[in-house]
Amino acid sequence: MTDKKIKMEKKFKIKLDGKTINVIEGQTILEICRAKGLTIPTLCKQPGLRSEARCRICLVEMDKKLVTSCSTYPSPGASIITKTDRVKNARRRNVELIMAHHTGSCNINEDEKNELCYLAKEVGLEETRFKKVRNYKPTLGSSVIRDDNKCINCGRCVDTCSKIQRVNAIDFAGRGFNEHVASYFEKNLPETSCIKCGQCIINCPVGAIREREHIDDVIEVLNKKKKHIVVQIAPSIRVSLGDDFGYEVGTNVEGKMVSAFRECGFDKVFDVDLGADMTIMEEASEFLRRLKDGGPFPMITTCCPAWILFMESFYHDMFHNMSSCMSPHEMLGMLTKTYYAKKVGLKKSDIVVVSVMPCTAKKYESTREELQSGVDYVLTTREATKLIKHFGIDFRKLKDSKFDNPLGVSTGAGTIFGATGGVMEAALRTAYELGTNEKLKSPDFKSIRGMKGIKTGSVMVNDVEIKYAAAHGGANVRKLLENAKDYHFIEIMACPGGCVGGGGQPIPTTEDIARIRGEALHKDDDKDNMRKSHENPVVKKIYKEFLGEPGSAKAHEILHTFYKKRSEF
Amino acid sequence: MQILKKTKMNALKVARNLGPLGVVEILRKKKVTGRGGAGFPVAKKWKFAMDTDSDVKYLICNADEGEPGTFKDKFIMLKNPKTMIEGIIIAAETIGVKNVYFYLRGEYLNLREGLEKEIKSMLKKSESDASIEIVMGAGAYICGEETAIIKSIEGYRGQPYCKPPFPPKAGLWEKPTVVNNVETFVHIAQSLYFDDYNTNLRLFSISGCVKKPGIYEALSGESLTKVISKAKPTNKPKAIYFGCFGGCKPYKEMKLTAKNICGDDCVHGAATLIITDDKTSAVDMAYIISKFFTYESCGKCTPCREGNIQVLLLLKKLRAGEATKEDYELLKELSLHVQETSLCGLGQTSTKHITTGIKYFESEFTDLIKEDGTGKEE
Repeated sequence: MTDKKIKMEKKFKIKLDGKTINVIEGQTILEICRAKGLTIPTLCKQPGLRSEARCRICLVEMDKKLVTSCSTYPSPGASIITKTDRVKNARRRNVELIMAHHTGSCNINEDEKNELCYLAKEVGLEETRFKKVRNYKPTLGSSVIRDDNKCINCGRCVDTCSKIQRVNAIDFAGRGFNEHVASYFEKNLPETSCIKCGQCIINCPVGAIREREHIDDVIEVLNKKKKHIVVQIAPSIRVSLGDDFGYEVGTNVEGKMVSAFRECGFDKVFDVDLGADMTIMEEASEFLRRLKDGGPFPMITTCCPAWILFMESFYHDMFHNMSSCMSPHEMLGMLTKTYYAKKVGLKKSDIVVVSVMPCTAKKYESTREELQSGVDYVLTTREATKLIKHFGIDFRKLKDSKFDNPLGVSTGAGTIFGATGGVMEAALRTAYELGTNEKLKSPDFKSIRGMKGIKTGSVMVNDVEIKYAAAHGGANVRKLLENAKDYHFIEIMACPGGCVGGGGQPIPTTEDIARIRGEALHKDDDKDNMRKSHENPVVKKIYKEFLGEPGSAKAHEILHTFYKKRSEF
Repeated sequence: MQILKKTKMNALKVARNLGPLGVVEILRKKKVTGRGGAGFPVAKKWKFAMDTDSDVKYLICNADEGEPGTFKDKFIMLKNPKTMIEGIIIAAETIGVKNVYFYLRGEYLNLREGLEKEIKSMLKKSESDASIEIVMGAGAYICGEETAIIKSIEGYRGQPYCKPPFPPKAGLWEKPTVVNNVETFVHIAQSLYFDDYNTNLRLFSISGCVKKPGIYEALSGESLTKVISKAKPTNKPKAIYFGCFGGCKPYKEMKLTAKNICGDDCVHGAATLIITDDKTSAVDMAYIISKFFTYESCGKCTPCREGNIQVLLLLKKLRAGEATKEDYELLKELSLHVQETSLCGLGQTSTKHITTGIKYFESEFTDLIKEDGTGKEE
């Protein structure tokens, strides 16, 4: 996402570990070293962001002085050494100082997922000679829990919240050794403008912030077996769940995933892709209606609950621009408890719906009063992994199986919801064909795909040029909305990369990983026979048997919602 | 005292006649340097900002004089504010600045009203179109640091950030910004008007074990004994602390040149001399100063935030007679580490008082090491 300015490139020579090399002006020592294949340990540095050089771990020696490689630009003729004892000792001592504070909540030798512990091994630290000096109480939220005892003040969550998401719900407070991450007036996170996207969680190297887990509740429900338990799985999970079971990033494990949940004891495994198809039907017809009525434009998608919170806090003048559609998993949850319940002859109260989502904001969404959620529990991808491991299931040895009927048939359009631009692409496929009664030459809208922060394009529908755009990541969202009036239709996802980069995904999840997962979803879509939501036979059946028309009174009663204003702080 | 000589709007006249480039040329010729501590040539700093292309530029007067034992800026703001403000107006007009921020130390709240009056009348008299706004600090020592001051005025946490970009290229709100110290502005005005202006006269803030603590003016290179004799030491001086951050040296006759007292282990800084006598232990001084830095560290970078508190704990142990030889070695190691790897000037100098204290008064530290510690048994 870095916007590189075009300028004259100046080249000069420096000495790196004794060898003379050519470098381009404006590169940090870290960038130069990484390009040369040298590994330098880092902690607080985040790709794409200006370094704050807080942690002081990426030290190297430049002209006899210790400097942080992430923030230092070498001058011509500089001599840089990366491997002396002085450098190694200084790095190790800084990790040691950080460890002193973190120790007590984690064991250097045991916790593999903990980046700090990994770092400690990398710099050869076995135990710290320093005492722990601070003690805090953990703070609890409905979606996010923070434990300052584990926090090492690296500032990655703060940078993420302020620079990538532009939410600014958290920042540092206190000074000296009392510095800690806090929200306004030390309020609890749920009382602030936090949008619960969970990006701070996937960027935390030590697990000081994590989601509030509902895994124990789900296990209890599964063990009691008193109710009909349905699990529904979000589009992006099939390409991210594999990460935690040793698969290569972006591997599609849909078949094994379905088997695994069935093994856990769920009665039915449904596909949120179908919910996505339903969302498209409702959203596309809402859009066509707006087109007929002349507005209001732009219409903005509402699949992302973090974006909903973002809008409710910061864009009070945009309520009328929002689509009234619920998000796909809420739609499917409602359909499970109404349409499906009726079909199988169960009462609404007999069914428990568990959603597996790449998202922490969905946890909050299912408690929203505005939509009287059909979903009882939301698990993140990480929790899903834990659940599968809890039941002792050997994921890699499972046989593939298919989603259950009737709510398990989906199209490629639903699948690509998991990647940024996917909702827009799916909506355009349906809106075009329903609006013009013509077949699209190609269902591909390539201009809306990929990891570019803001993507735009246009298509002719009945002699009207429809301008559409998609943005992901709060900073890009703010940028796009400055020119919102230029567009008819806008898709917004709060997390970089869309749901594939969601705050509930396995750690690590970086922009690169999100891109690979997104590409995997598009590959899945390409292979699909059905690539348009309105071609889904189950969708047709639901409308025929239950809802009538898209946008009908019944559809509105079950599948639509409204929003409320929130404080900016 | 040269510092009290008033320019009475004459320096501004000279400056307007000379034009920006002429002013910079004079400052360069008369070798006017920054008086905040680093001693950077004023002409060079201004030239950077003048050569940067931008329609908006800012000037900051750093009056956040937080260094313990330093009170020269307060002295100037009380005794010669007019010349200082004249210097600010000259700077603003030379660099092309419309908005000047006067960052006043939080503890100097009582000076605010007087300064505001003076600023108002001076701006009126000078018919300058620049504005000077007083911004109050909130008591953080770190906000005297060039980049932290910028963040503080912008409304963020007063914490330093990594350079580049340097403030004269991109500082306050990403615009070219010049930050100069209170005393520097007096020198700017005086150097333009007085033919006999001497850039080598320095203001020494002398305190500690003396009968007459205060501000003394002396030529750089003057004899140390001569300078501090004016302040009348109570006993025979034992050590000189160059402020909290500058480290210490045993008292002996020496010339107060930048080279001599900065040397390789001390920082000359803002010409602060804290005198201690035989009754003051070097370890106690180290402990007190450490407490100061532990509290005043902004908390941004690891070595300063975590290092200083650990240093303090080790000193506490040492004073209680519970430190082993290993603890003492760790103290030495950590003090050096904090200096070598911290982000800003505060961290890089926050343990100088320990490294120099140990260098010159080692026995005072080692005498406190626990007897039955390692090493003796072998």
